[in-house]
Amino acid sequence: MGNAFDASEFLAGFLVEAEEHLSASTTNLLAVETSLRKGENNPRAVRELFRSLHTIKGLSAMVGIEPIVDVAHAMETVLRKADRAAGALSTNAFEALLAGLRAIGERVRALSTSAPVAPAPPQLLDALAALEITQDASPATVELVLDAGLSAKLSATEKAQLLQGAESGRRALRVDFVPSPARAAEGTTITSVRERIGAFAEIVKVVPLSIPASDTAPGGLAFALLVLTDATNEALAAAAATQPEHVQVLHTRRVDGADPLAEPEAAEEDVGEGRKRGIVRVEVARLDDALERLSALVITRFRLARAVDALAAQGVNVGELGEIVKGYGRQVRDLRGAIMRARMVPVAELLDRVPLIVRGLSRATKKPVRVVIDAGKAELDKAVADRVFPAIVHLIRNAVDHAIESPAERRRLGKPEEGLVRVTCFERSTNQLELGISDDGRGIDREAVAHRASRPVPADDAGLLDLITLPGLTTLDHATKTSGRGLGMDIVKRAVVELGGELSLGTTPGAGTTFTLCIPLTITIVDAFSFVCGEQTFVAPVAAIEEVVEVVPEALVRGPSRHTRFGEVRFMERRGEIVPLVNLASVFSLASREEPKALVVRRNGAALAFGIQRMVGQQEVVIRPLEDPLVKVTGVSGSTDLGDGRPTLVLDLVALSGALSQNRTEVPV
Amino acid sequence: MTEILVVDDSKVMREMIVACLRVGEDFTFTHAASGLEAIEKLALKAFDLVVLDLNMPDIGGFEVIEFIRGQDKLQRLPVLVVTTRGDEGSRVRALAAGASQFMTKPFTPDAILANVQSMLRLDAAGFHE
Repeated sequence: MGNAFDASEFLAGFLVEAEEHLSASTTNLLAVETSLRKGENNPRAVRELFRSLHTIKGLSAMVGIEPIVDVAHAMETVLRKADRAAGALSTNAFEALLAGLRAIGERVRALSTSAPVAPAPPQLLDALAALEITQDASPATVELVLDAGLSAKLSATEKAQLLQGAESGRRALRVDFVPSPARAAEGTTITSVRERIGAFAEIVKVVPLSIPASDTAPGGLAFALLVLTDATNEALAAAAATQPEHVQVLHTRRVDGADPLAEPEAAEEDVGEGRKRGIVRVEVARLDDALERLSALVITRFRLARAVDALAAQGVNVGELGEIVKGYGRQVRDLRGAIMRARMVPVAELLDRVPLIVRGLSRATKKPVRVVIDAGKAELDKAVADRVFPAIVHLIRNAVDHAIESPAERRRLGKPEEGLVRVTCFERSTNQLELGISDDGRGIDREAVAHRASRPVPADDAGLLDLITLPGLTTLDHATKTSGRGLGMDIVKRAVVELGGELSLGTTPGAGTTFTLCIPLTITIVDAFSFVCGEQTFVAPVAAIEEVVEVVPEALVRGPSRHTRFGEVRFMERRGEIVPLVNLASVFSLASREEPKALVVRRNGAALAFGIQRMVGQQEVVIRPLEDPLVKVTGVSGSTDLGDGRPTLVLDLVALSGALSQNRTEVPV
Repeated sequence: MTEILVVDDSKVMREMIVACLRVGEDFTFTHAASGLEAIEKLALKAFDLVVLDLNMPDIGGFEVIEFIRGQDKLQRLPVLVVTTRGDEGSRVRALAAGASQFMTKPFTPDAILANVQSMLRLDAAGFHE
């Protein structure tokens, strides 16, 4: 997972920004209350509040202040709902949000005086979670007249804001600012223009527009500022460095029927809603098949690119052809992404069962335990989900069984009686998911673990993790309560490693433990043969292999003149069919060329046998792409871990046989 | 010299990102504190890579990405989207809009540096057509 972030360097900056956002949030929340008293919504203040809390949450996460992350997250959830309901908030919500700001404020101040930061108050989190936001359903009867390009860039809230302003007597105007290096040199930039206009007008939205590049618009860019103001066109034009005649008034018109404002929001939500509405169950195997067919397209793409390069080398102008090849490459990649996404399941769905499990454990151990799940909208490949879930359950069971103290003990330690288990999940990067399982229990005692394992005391949490995941430790450790961590950690570790992931641990005696599972979002699992060839182990999917046969040297027939770089092609007879035999070790230029066995594959009806040293076994393996999955080495579809911690290459013998039969003198390895 | 535009409304977040990336690299950094400022800078100057926050006061990161991908000259520009946990739903939207990579805060210096380096390598190899 790499080194931890040195947050101390940024603490001062964090405190300054957190205070700024807190004070802006207080102002906005009070503005919400003022509107509430008048029976109005205040979508702008709600959105600003949301944004501030989101920023506070992100910053706190970076510097590792989890209690603030928790409170900000709970508040943000309420505000997101309110934002979708066009800024509707109840008095209850107002009170809870105010308490939330106070809680964050206290913790920021604690941090600034180096005092310990208290955990997030559970009552507050519960109160925030319990808030209901109801949609304000009054249909609008007036809409703005805007050109389509501009209209598409405005949210329902922003349109409502412009309309509300225009209805209340202010003028809704559009003025364009065109940036250029010359203007930037004079200090006239979109930032300064916004400040100047903001002094006398309410800026509802600034929309960037691409325009044809010219002497006056060298960047090919204009900003359309949509504002509400009582100021004159002259003042506005001067502030935007343009002419008064370029200021446009935004008109409104009456509409009948459905609420036109609801439309863009609905479109935004389509991703999630659509999934609920139209679910089709598809066997994973069918998606794999689609992916398989796609790889043929990828190969075509590379052949196409090579052909274009060859044309270019002959001096042909391939400009447009090159663009088409690039576009085609992009489309193939998008298609691959689309198929991969079809295999994804929401992590929240996977974790649905966790509260039930915790409730059961809590009853069995007579320890009250609260479970908090923050899975966001992360998604995970079905196959990964199935493999990682047992590990999650294992960690949760350990947390409740062993880590969380009895209520009496917790009381004595000054902890809340109710223990806490938290499961969080977020995407680390485009193909990495981070799952965290933490508890506020007793932590893991390094010395006790070291003693039980009869090993030296580990220097850090990583060393401790190595120790508790030792396969032998579990049988040594019956009195698990003293070490705070229970059984079968080696199983958890193996599950994570087999997925190509990483397990890490952070524990503080007396305060709690967090296990972090970093796992890939997608994997490919196949049933595969493992075998040795040239003293190296390889695997190949069972499905690709027609048969494993014995090679009888006396029965081989030499080919007429088929000498190649990778040795000689010979022929063997198999059920009346003549099958060419290629030594696989030779293909990969490996030293030992024994071949008592051969793997027979078939491509386009033609069989080919690869001579190998010996078979090892058959098992399900997780294939990890070597690098970019679209940059393929012919014959190698990825790597896997057979449990020895070393990467083993996964061979695509069918593709390899194709490459060999196409060009017997050039081996693409 | 690699020109990187760091877009985030939080100054300390921009500083953290720069601190993660400046280690032993030939990178120069330009800050933009808002989506609009980012778009203005992109229109007026050439950059090799953008690190972009999604949550900003004026226009959000999605709109910045849409603008970038709508410009012929910025088609290939690698865009690393950095956003806060809980926003995983944004990932698909950001990638669909044309982001090249996506990371969630908190991230480690190693992770963001590795991401940026690999994006620059892929770019040099012509993979961000």
